[in-house]
Amino acid sequence: MIDQGIKSRPVYERLRIDHSGLRHLFVADTPSFSVEPLAAEAQALEVWAVAPLDSEGVSPALTDERHRSFRSVQGLIQRLTHRLKDERMGFRLYAAGREGFLWDVYGTAQQAGLGRQEVFLTHHGSTRRRVMCVHCRTFNEGVTTTIAQCEGCGAQLFVRDHFSRRLSAYMGVKVDAELPGDVPPAEQAYQ
Amino acid sequence: MIVEGKLSARVVGVDTISPTLKRFRFAPQGGGQFPTAAPGAHILVTLRGPDRVWKNSYSLVTTPEQRDQYAIIVRRADASRGGSHFLHDVITGGEAVELSAPASLFPIASLARKHILISGGIGLTPFLSYVPVLRSRKATFELHQFCSEGEAGVFRDLLGNEDGRIHVHGSTSRPALDQILADQPLGTHVYTCGPDRLMEGVAQTARRLGFPENAIHQESFGAATGGQPFVVRLTRSRKTIEVGETQTLLEALEAAGVEAPCLCRGGACGVCLVPVVDGEPEHRDHVLSDAERAEGRIIATCVSRAKSASLVLDL
Amino acid sequence: MGIQFKPTETFRGDFSYSNSDEAVLRFPFPFAEDKYMYSVNMEPHVRKGPCPVFEHAFDVDEHYIAECHERALVLESDPKRCQVLPHMMAAQWDTLELIMESLATDYPEHFSLTRDGDNWHWINRPLNTDQRFVFGDPSTLPREPFEYITRQAQGDFTIQDQRDHNLYVDGGMVTCQADWSLEFDIGMSFHEWHGPVPLAHDIGVFDRALQYLLRLQYGQPVRRLNWTMTVNPRMDTSPENYPDWGPDKLTVTPENVDRKVHLRVELQTLFRLPRSNGILFGIRCYLISLQDLERVTKWSKRLGRVLATLPPELVEYKGIARYRDMVVSRLAAVDDGAPLSLGIQPDQTSLPPRR
Repeated sequence: MIDQGIKSRPVYERLRIDHSGLRHLFVADTPSFSVEPLAAEAQALEVWAVAPLDSEGVSPALTDERHRSFRSVQGLIQRLTHRLKDERMGFRLYAAGREGFLWDVYGTAQQAGLGRQEVFLTHHGSTRRRVMCVHCRTFNEGVTTTIAQCEGCGAQLFVRDHFSRRLSAYMGVKVDAELPGDVPPAEQAYQ
Repeated sequence: MIVEGKLSARVVGVDTISPTLKRFRFAPQGGGQFPTAAPGAHILVTLRGPDRVWKNSYSLVTTPEQRDQYAIIVRRADASRGGSHFLHDVITGGEAVELSAPASLFPIASLARKHILISGGIGLTPFLSYVPVLRSRKATFELHQFCSEGEAGVFRDLLGNEDGRIHVHGSTSRPALDQILADQPLGTHVYTCGPDRLMEGVAQTARRLGFPENAIHQESFGAATGGQPFVVRLTRSRKTIEVGETQTLLEALEAAGVEAPCLCRGGACGVCLVPVVDGEPEHRDHVLSDAERAEGRIIATCVSRAKSASLVLDL
Repeated sequence: MGIQFKPTETFRGDFSYSNSDEAVLRFPFPFAEDKYMYSVNMEPHVRKGPCPVFEHAFDVDEHYIAECHERALVLESDPKRCQVLPHMMAAQWDTLELIMESLATDYPEHFSLTRDGDNWHWINRPLNTDQRFVFGDPSTLPREPFEYITRQAQGDFTIQDQRDHNLYVDGGMVTCQADWSLEFDIGMSFHEWHGPVPLAHDIGVFDRALQYLLRLQYGQPVRRLNWTMTVNPRMDTSPENYPDWGPDKLTVTPENVDRKVHLRVELQTLFRLPRSNGILFGIRCYLISLQDLERVTKWSKRLGRVLATLPPELVEYKGIARYRDMVVSRLAAVDDGAPLSLGIQPDQTSLPPRR
C-alpha cells in the first residue's frame, strides 16, 4: 500500500553540498534535523531552522550570524522570499523537513528564479500527507490513513501516490465513486 | 506545419557586408511563405556546384515573423570545407537552392529571468534573430560581441542602435568574461556562440561563478574538425569508403553517393545516427548518452570518427 | 463539399451522440494485431496512412460543432480545465498560428485566415466567428491565444516546455480526457506526468519516448493512437467528475452492452513549436459504440481478441474491469477464430445494419 509504483512520488536522497555553488543556505522546519554532516562540507553554510513548538513565540536568540531561528514555518518562508530577491547566481538552497514544507520551499525558490539544479531537498520527520481532493480541490492536511474523508466535499478519498510538486500535495480520489458506499477499511500508513 | 521534403528556394539577394562577409537572402520558389523559424534556428543549405554538392548549416538571421525571406550571413573562410567559397564566389542571385525546414537546437530558455548573449566574430548570427525577439518579449538581456577592431563597425551596424544592452568589444577594449558574468540575478542564463576558445571560456567562467549547467547554452554545430583517416564499410550498400583527414564521415558517405540521413551536421540533432556493426567509434556528438557512448553501437556520422582503422556500419 | 455537421448532438444527459456510416468507416481503430501492449508506437504524422483521419494536420469531422459546444459547457462549470503557466506565452501564439494555418489550409470551405503583417483576420464559419486581431498582442483577442484557438478545435491539447533535457506539461486545454487532471498535473515533468501508467515505465517506454520527443523536429510532427473504453458517449471523463460518471460503469448489462460501451480512441499528435521550442500535444478523442464497431467484422473480432488477452494491470488501469467480460463474450460469440489481416484498416467499404 505504501509504494503504489507511481513514479511521480519524489525520491529523496541524503543532502550533500553542491560544490559547483558558491553560497549555500540550509533551511529546516525543525531544529531536530542533524545539520552537522552538511555543515562539515561547507564552512560558510548558513542554517535557518524553525524553533520548537514549546518556545511559544518567544524570539529565539541568534546564536551567530550564520544561524537563524524562526518562530514558525510561515515566518521562515517569508524571510526566505525576501532574502532570495537579493541573491545572485551561484547560490544553492537546501531544505529538510516534512514533504509539504519541502515543496513550499521549492515553490518559493522557483518564484525567485532558482531551478531544479540549484535546490536540494531531503525528507525528515512526519510522513503525514497533504492531500488535494481532485473533485473539490480542498487541501486536506496531515492525512495519516490510506483513505480519508475530504474536509471540503465529504467524499471518502483514496490517497494515490501521484504527487504534484507544484501543489505540494498527493491526489485524493473518491474511493467509492463507482459503487457509492463501497468503502474499504482505511489503514494507518503515514505517521 | 507539416513540411514534406526540402524547401525549394531561390537566392533573391546577395549583400556585401564587409570584404569577407556576405548576406544571402532566400525566398520560396514560386512565392508563398516559409515556415516560421525559431529564434536561433539554423537551416541546412544544399548547393549544387558543377562537380559536387555542398550541404552546410547556417544560422538564420531573420526573425520568426519574417516568412517571405530567410537570410544567412556567411564568412568566406580560408580553411572551410568549401561551401563558403562557393557561396561567396559563385552565388550572385537567382540560383535555385534547397533548404531544410529550420531546426532549433539553440532555443531561448523559457524560464530565464535574464539572458546574457556572448558571441565572437561571425558567431553573432544566431543572436541577430534572438535580439528582436527578446526586445518584443520585453525580456531583460545584454549582448556582448567580441571581434577584431577592424570589424567592430561592421557588427555595430548589423546590431543597430546600442541602447545600453548591446556591447561590441573590439580587440582594444575587451572586458574580462568574469566582469560580464559576475554578480548576476538568480535565473540568469548565458548563451554563447563563436570560436571554441570563447565558448569554452564562457562555459568555464560561468561554472566557476556557480551557474548551473542548465543555465549555460552553447551553439554547438559547425565545430566539427577532422582527424586520422579511416575506412568505413557499409553492410547494406556493400561499399567501402575512405574517410580523409579533413573530411567528415558524413561527407565521405555523401561523396560516395550514399543517401545518409542528416540534419544539423553538428552532432546535436540525432537525425544522422546509424548502427555500428563493428569497429570502435570516436564519439564527438552531443546526442548520445554516456551508456550509448560506452556501448559504441551507434554513431553520429556528421561529427564522429573512428578510433579503430575501420568501421562497419549498417547502412 | 463541406462536412455535414451535427450541431445538436450531446455528450451528456440524453447522450444523443452517434456516428454516421461514413464516420464509422473512417474510425481510427487502434489495434493492428490481436494482442496489445505498450510500445513507443510513434510514426511521422504525414498526410497519409491506413485511416482517413490521418490526412489532415488536425482532423475535423461531423462532431466538430457539438464538441466545441461540449467544451464550452465544461469550461463554464470549471474554468481551470484550461490553464497555461506564465512562461508559455510564446507557445500560446505558436499554437494559435499552427491550428489556424492548418485548419485554413486543410478545410478552406470552413475556415479562412488572411494576414497583413501582424494584422490577422480569422473566420470560422461552422462556429460563426469572425475575428480580427494583432498577432502577438493578447489584448486584441477576447481570450488568451491558446484558449481562444483550442475552444475552436476538437480534442484536448497540452503544451510542453522543453528544458533541462526534459519536457514539462506547462499548459493545456483538457475537457475530454481519459481520467487525468490538468489542475493536478500541470508543471510536471514527462515521467511524473505519466507516473500512474502501469508496466510501461519498467520496460523503458517513457525513457525512449522522451528521448525521441526531445529530438522532435519542427515541420515533422509525429502521431500515435491510444485507447480506452467509456460507458456512454461521454467526452468529459475527468477525475474531477469521476463521482458523476463512475456509477455509469455499473449500468452495463448483457442486454445493453452494445449501446452503452464505447471504444474511445485518442489520435495523439506532437508538433514542435517554433518560437517557444515547445511541443504541442494534440489528443483528439473519437468514440464509437460497440454496436457500430460490430458492423466492421474485422474490428469486432480483433477487439474481442485484444480484450480477452489484455494484461490484468491494463484492465485495472483502463478502468474496464466491471464490464470487460460482457464485451468479450458478446464479441467472442461471433468470432470464428480465422486469421485477420495485419493493420487497422476496416477491410470493407460499406456497413451492414446494426445487429
